[in-house]
Amino acid sequence: MDVIVCVKHVPDAETRLRASSSGKWIDTDGVKFTVNNTYDEAAAEEALRLKEKCGARSVRVITVGPARAEEALRYVLSMGADEATHIEVPADALLDPLTVARLLAGVIKTLPHDIVMVGKQAADDEAGVVGSALGALLGLPSYAFVTQLDPDAASKTLKMHRYVEGGEEHFHGPFPAVVSLLKGAADPRTPTLPNILKARKKPLTKVPLADAEAKARALSPTAAAGSVRSFLLPPPKTGAKMIEFQTPEEAAEKLVRLLREEAKVL
Amino acid sequence: MPISFDLTQDQKELQTLAAKFAREEMAPRAAEADKKGHFPEEVYRKAWELGLMNLNVATEYGGAGLPLLEQCIITEELAAACGGMTTSILANCLALQPINLAGTPEQKERVLRPFCGKYGLASFGLTEPSGGTDAAALKTRAEKKGDHYVLNGQKCFITNAPQASLYTIFATLDPAKRDKGITAFIVPRDSPGLSIGKEEDKMGQRASSTATVLLEDVEVSKENLLGKEGEGFRIAMQTLDSTRTPIGALAVGIARAALEQAAKYSLQRTSFGKPIAQHQAVAAKIANMTIELEASRLLTWRSAWLVDQGHRASLESSIAKCFSSDSAMRICDEAIQIFGGYGYMRDYPVEKYLRDAKLCQIYEGANEIQRQVIAREFLKRFG
Ligand SMILES: Cc1cc2nc3c(=O)[nH]c(=O)nc-3n(C[C@H](O)[C@H](O)[C@H](O)COP(=O)(O)OP(=O)(O)OC[C@H]3O[C@@H](n4cnc5c(N)ncnc54)[C@H](O)[C@@H]3O)c2cc1C
Repeated sequence: MDVIVCVKHVPDAETRLRASSSGKWIDTDGVKFTVNNTYDEAAAEEALRLKEKCGARSVRVITVGPARAEEALRYVLSMGADEATHIEVPADALLDPLTVARLLAGVIKTLPHDIVMVGKQAADDEAGVVGSALGALLGLPSYAFVTQLDPDAASKTLKMHRYVEGGEEHFHGPFPAVVSLLKGAADPRTPTLPNILKARKKPLTKVPLADAEAKARALSPTAAAGSVRSFLLPPPKTGAKMIEFQTPEEAAEKLVRLLREEAKVL
Repeated sequence: MPISFDLTQDQKELQTLAAKFAREEMAPRAAEADKKGHFPEEVYRKAWELGLMNLNVATEYGGAGLPLLEQCIITEELAAACGGMTTSILANCLALQPINLAGTPEQKERVLRPFCGKYGLASFGLTEPSGGTDAAALKTRAEKKGDHYVLNGQKCFITNAPQASLYTIFATLDPAKRDKGITAFIVPRDSPGLSIGKEEDKMGQRASSTATVLLEDVEVSKENLLGKEGEGFRIAMQTLDSTRTPIGALAVGIARAALEQAAKYSLQRTSFGKPIAQHQAVAAKIANMTIELEASRLLTWRSAWLVDQGHRASLESSIAKCFSSDSAMRICDEAIQIFGGYGYMRDYPVEKYLRDAKLCQIYEGANEIQRQVIAREFLKRFG
């Protein structure tokens, strides 16, 4: 069994973001990028567990991103993946999720794959499109928002769990398939120091953008893609009111009055 | 190799791993461990699981086998979260270094591999109640009796002593011979006659443990003799030569944390209608602290780099340790000053940095003796 996990290099959650001068994305200058992309990490962890549980032959991590995104691949290699594929795009490329899915699908089609894992959405644009688009482009079933999965190699079936309104759904379906993860069965492992050093020696293949595009065209000739018209940061919060007071009793009284008369929540 | 201040991808990843461990495992426990003088064994165990202990032991014997520069990069990250925990982690490297340097392949296979293969702590026993700086005058006796040695004496201020499973002990076969009589031994914890005295109640670095090791007719087989008889002093000095630089990095980590706290506070705290950072006297403090921190780190990295290139670095490692620890004291002191009254309170983290930093001026060769080495090495160039 071959497992492929797709990850994205995203801005660190603690970075302060500014809109770029083009007004179409963030200004990436000085932004720290990370691999701590919750859902992708969960997908990577689950991919490694599949390997440990069912003796998958290999776990390959793949990304579409600029040169800096190699860090995300190396991180997952340090977690324990066997090999990596980097579809390298220019640093300033603005890729919509469908384009990303096309590039991924084109390359994945040429690689052995039984289960393709993705995070349910990326931590930056949160589009949540790549998983299902990959399934459509590869002609595979795709299972979304999965929280647990157990493959049965003999019957080529996946037993899965996911949350549904008010409960949990247990279902199964055939593989090869694309699975998007909401969370995994365990917290993503931290790469150990020896594994970080070993990761350097693992194969990392670079796929030039033109090659990936050709493969994508071979798979699906028409390229539909959305485009960003403008990118806005949320407006700064206003309306905070400071209560001036001498005694705690006075503070409480003023607060209750405001909650009742102005906010009308009491 | 040309000079480069760019960290390699590997170095960056090790730094990220150490920073993550420091942030998630060490920092949340630092204040509590300091207050109670508690030895957070779970932190050290986790550090071992991630491969952050025994950094200086070769990979073939189960260590990380890292160059000194990488060790320093990791040490700074750990120390920024807790100096005391970092000392206990580094004490393993200190204790194992005599075996790295003087152990036979048989000894490394028999002692290092099983030790590194599971979680465990080790101690380096050189200092004695009657003196640490004048190590050649140590009094612990080793007597040769047939195929073994018998050790008698006391080692004091020994980091990790209460929890260690392995000790490297320095003792003399003949006090009259001073340094020429000193001999190094591997002593397992379960050796009859080895016991641990009272644990010290320390000013700082309270998450590490420090205690006396008592040796009463402790038999050590000749298989556990390190190097040859009389080589112990050289082994101890060579060990300290290579562990001194990471002490500089430890001081850098503590000082960095103090400076970062002070910088943030100076931007938030206002007086006379503006952030105190905008008062020139406070800004100048921040500037001086930044200058000293940057200089300390560069001296530490350069010393480590020299060692990694195979050079002798007595002068540079003494400079790195001495300057970084003296700077750390000044930086931590000024951090308290910037915090004003709050800085003096135990509820704020900065006073701990000062207490933790102080040790860096004392152990692994007090700064007075480092200055003596620096002067001696430098003056050699003039005749
Ligand atoms: C928390 C802690 C942990 C430690 N861990 C360990 C450990 O794990 N293993 C271990 O072996 N030791 C350890 N030590 C011991 C430490 O290395 C010694 O304290 C140090 O070497 C100084 O020795 P001393 O305390 O006996 O001071 P002394 O040697 O008595 O020195 C007292 C003062 O005199 C100065 N002085 C001495 N001689 C000279 C001279 N020739 N010229 C100028 N000044 C001089 C010293 O610099 C110092 O200021 C630890 C110490 C502490 C406090």
